[in-house]
Amino acid sequence: MSTIRDKLREYRTAGYYTEFEYHWTMAVDLDRCTGCEACVVACQAENNLPIVGEKRMRQGREMKWLRIERYWDGDYPDARLNFIPMLCQHCDEAPCEIACPVFATYHNQDGLNAQVYNRCIGTRTCAVYCPYEVRFFNWFTYTWDEPLEQQLNPDVTVREKGVMEKCTFCVQRINRAKDLARDEDRRVADGEAQPACAQACPTDAIVFGDRNDPDSAVSRKLEDPRAYKVLEELNTHPSVVYLKNAREPLAGHEDDDHHGEESDSHAASPVMWSEESSEAVA
Amino acid sequence: MSATRELMFDHGQPSYSEVNNDVINALTTTTWRYWVTLGISAGTALLFFVAPWIYQIIVGVGAAGMNRNAMWGTYLSNFIFWIGLSHSGTLLSAVLHITQSDWRKSIYRSAEAMTLFSLMTAAMFVMVHVGRVWFVHWTFPFPNPMELWPNFRSPLMFDVMAILTYLTASSVFIYMGSLPDFAAVRDRSTGLRRRIYAVMCFGWRGTAHEWHTLGWAYTFFAVLVIPLAVSVHSIVSWDFAMSTVPGLHHTIFAPYFVCGAIYSGTAGIVTVMWMLRKFMGFGRYIGQLHIDNLSKLLLVLSLIWTYINICENFSGWYSGTSFEYEAILYRIWEGPFWWLYWEMILFCAVVPLVLFSRRIRTNWNLMLVISILINIGMLTERFVIVASSLPRKFLPDVFGTYFPSLVEISITVGSFAIFTTLFLLFVKIFPAVSIYEVKETLNPLRRREAHT
Amino acid sequence: MTLLASFAHEDAALDAARALRENGVDGVDLYSPIPLHGADEALGLGKSMVRVFTLLGGILGAIGGFTLCVWTATRFILPTAGRPVITLPPYLLITYESTILLGTLMTLLGFFVVARLPAWRDRTYRASSNVDRFVISVAGPGASDAEEILRAAGAESIEREESE
Repeated sequence: MSTIRDKLREYRTAGYYTEFEYHWTMAVDLDRCTGCEACVVACQAENNLPIVGEKRMRQGREMKWLRIERYWDGDYPDARLNFIPMLCQHCDEAPCEIACPVFATYHNQDGLNAQVYNRCIGTRTCAVYCPYEVRFFNWFTYTWDEPLEQQLNPDVTVREKGVMEKCTFCVQRINRAKDLARDEDRRVADGEAQPACAQACPTDAIVFGDRNDPDSAVSRKLEDPRAYKVLEELNTHPSVVYLKNAREPLAGHEDDDHHGEESDSHAASPVMWSEESSEAVA
Repeated sequence: MSATRELMFDHGQPSYSEVNNDVINALTTTTWRYWVTLGISAGTALLFFVAPWIYQIIVGVGAAGMNRNAMWGTYLSNFIFWIGLSHSGTLLSAVLHITQSDWRKSIYRSAEAMTLFSLMTAAMFVMVHVGRVWFVHWTFPFPNPMELWPNFRSPLMFDVMAILTYLTASSVFIYMGSLPDFAAVRDRSTGLRRRIYAVMCFGWRGTAHEWHTLGWAYTFFAVLVIPLAVSVHSIVSWDFAMSTVPGLHHTIFAPYFVCGAIYSGTAGIVTVMWMLRKFMGFGRYIGQLHIDNLSKLLLVLSLIWTYINICENFSGWYSGTSFEYEAILYRIWEGPFWWLYWEMILFCAVVPLVLFSRRIRTNWNLMLVISILINIGMLTERFVIVASSLPRKFLPDVFGTYFPSLVEISITVGSFAIFTTLFLLFVKIFPAVSIYEVKETLNPLRRREAHT
Repeated sequence: MTLLASFAHEDAALDAARALRENGVDGVDLYSPIPLHGADEALGLGKSMVRVFTLLGGILGAIGGFTLCVWTATRFILPTAGRPVITLPPYLLITYESTILLGTLMTLLGFFVVARLPAWRDRTYRASSNVDRFVISVAGPGASDAEEILRAAGAESIEREESE
């Protein structure tokens, strides 16, 4: 009887996991981001992303698991460019996960939003539900011209047409680190598992690690008063945290930050941050 | 009662045997015009639906015009349109059966057939829509070597279950209602046709016991179908409403879609009734009373529909979130499809207001035009909902546009041909007007004059 | 032996059926082109057993639908979107649909069982009863007594058919 009650409690736990084995988290310091797109290229190379070509790019069918979004601050000539790298946020309450009728996307024990390519039937509902627009659909079966197919990463599947794909936080690298740690009977050390983008970032704007470990670099970043999450008000609980760009306000926009909520409409960034953090910056 | 009996037939009451003759002759005598129409519509279906679909399966869904921003396009909006069109037949038939409205009896068979065939067309669109149609069976719960079952928490699984149930229930409903008529066809025909209908009617003899059982079973089907039909389109609306997308994430979507569905379905019935009168010679059975009642229903539904539309835009404005506000603005004014939005308002909210006039309500040709306009409006309504919300969600950097490709347009056209083909086959298999139920609406064959 | 009496009027046929019943004749059946109000009472048909099938189907569907959701979700646990594995609102929707599905299918089964269909064999039957005639058949030992009653009730024609 008690086992039934235990089972029931287990199955009625919101999100099923009471604690993640590792809680992989990424912190992106927008102050450090120069918009060089090294991360984009690294991601493309690591994850066998196809180069879709100019025509399909213009149709809006590019495959970029990680993209640098650009937002302008102020009016020309007093304009300033802000960058925000946008990738799968690995939300703990992901809108995309409820959508899939065949469990092609689910939440794994590490807090990762996993995508199972084999299982996907391509209803594309997950991409519609995703507020960050970071899911990409294989409209065609993409091929690589000779000899470019030689450079494909053997650790990553090549996807066929009709399959949804997205950033995995370089799950192949995470798994390699975890396997190594398990062999040596220890936990993965901080910095041991690095996605391609974090590794490639020349200014160390992207920090990746385990949030469960209070001493990890990413945990320290989370305590930064500039930290905020994109579209947090949608209650998605993202695992990617951004550190706000805290530069001097532009001329003519000096009092932007003093308005609190109001500043949102003037700020170039479309993202909203929680009230505490924006006040802390002010 | 007798007053409605007189009203129901514009040219006097037929006798019992005349009903049999009229309906079964329409079934068995086939002119060359029928074959030509069937050939054209089947050819159109092959050329415009099947061929582009095969092409799309070979190259990938990229053959359609969808992109990163608009992951859903006309396939999904057409799916909703066809599901909507399916809503009136069975639902109306069941409601009118329960409320014992006699005027239902000469139109319900074709209305239910419309339900069935639009549902089938809608199911085709699901398969056209998905990326890997060859794995679409994974959405059904069946034991498999992967030990993986579908995700019953997904709104799409609600859809699968709802459509499966609706398809089953409405097939059963139309088939059971036709059993006695199959027996009547069997008795009038010879040879192969007789043998086929003997099997199809399950050996129906019309004994009191059989009628009694059918009556009970039929009422239960009707009772089960009503809540089902309401749930089906609510569930379809939740595919949209359960997302976070501004412009789709509305609580009003369930009643909005159900109302829109019945609206477009009723307009569809009017169109089909006109066709039956014109091409099948059922003018004697489908008359002024039917068109008048259907038009009144259309008028009521158009008013409800207008009200819900106002509500939707009002709540977008009143919500105070810039995302919602801009989504509404993009839909009705700033986006590339603003003219489609106003076309839909014109056809679905403004034009039906003329139905306040009884002279227009009872004019068949005018009603044909109005009903087709309403369905054009409803087709674009679904398109506008999809195409004006998805390209602009939250992050302005990835705002995009969507325009259907030739493949999508062709498949949309082809779907109408598929529906027409199925319906043309139907009128030669099922008696398109219920024989025994029309007889029920005639003056009863009594030795003594009826005093009731 | 089976006696088949044909009537042109429904009230005549119903009167005949009632008279036969009052005289204790067994094996009476009434064939009509439309469902006759009053036939239930004239032939002593009560509430149909179909409703039991519908009820059973509904209950079975409700239990089955919910069990299917819970069972499949707990076979292979794939957590999604911060929801518990057993999530009530979506599972109740599936339950709702499966209740109606099984209810419909069981009603269909109930119809076939109660009406004793399908019967793809030759049975006593007059084609005219699917057009505009009301036919009463009397089978078995009562047939010889019935002829008089049927004629008195106004039968147009009476035929005899030797049963197999």
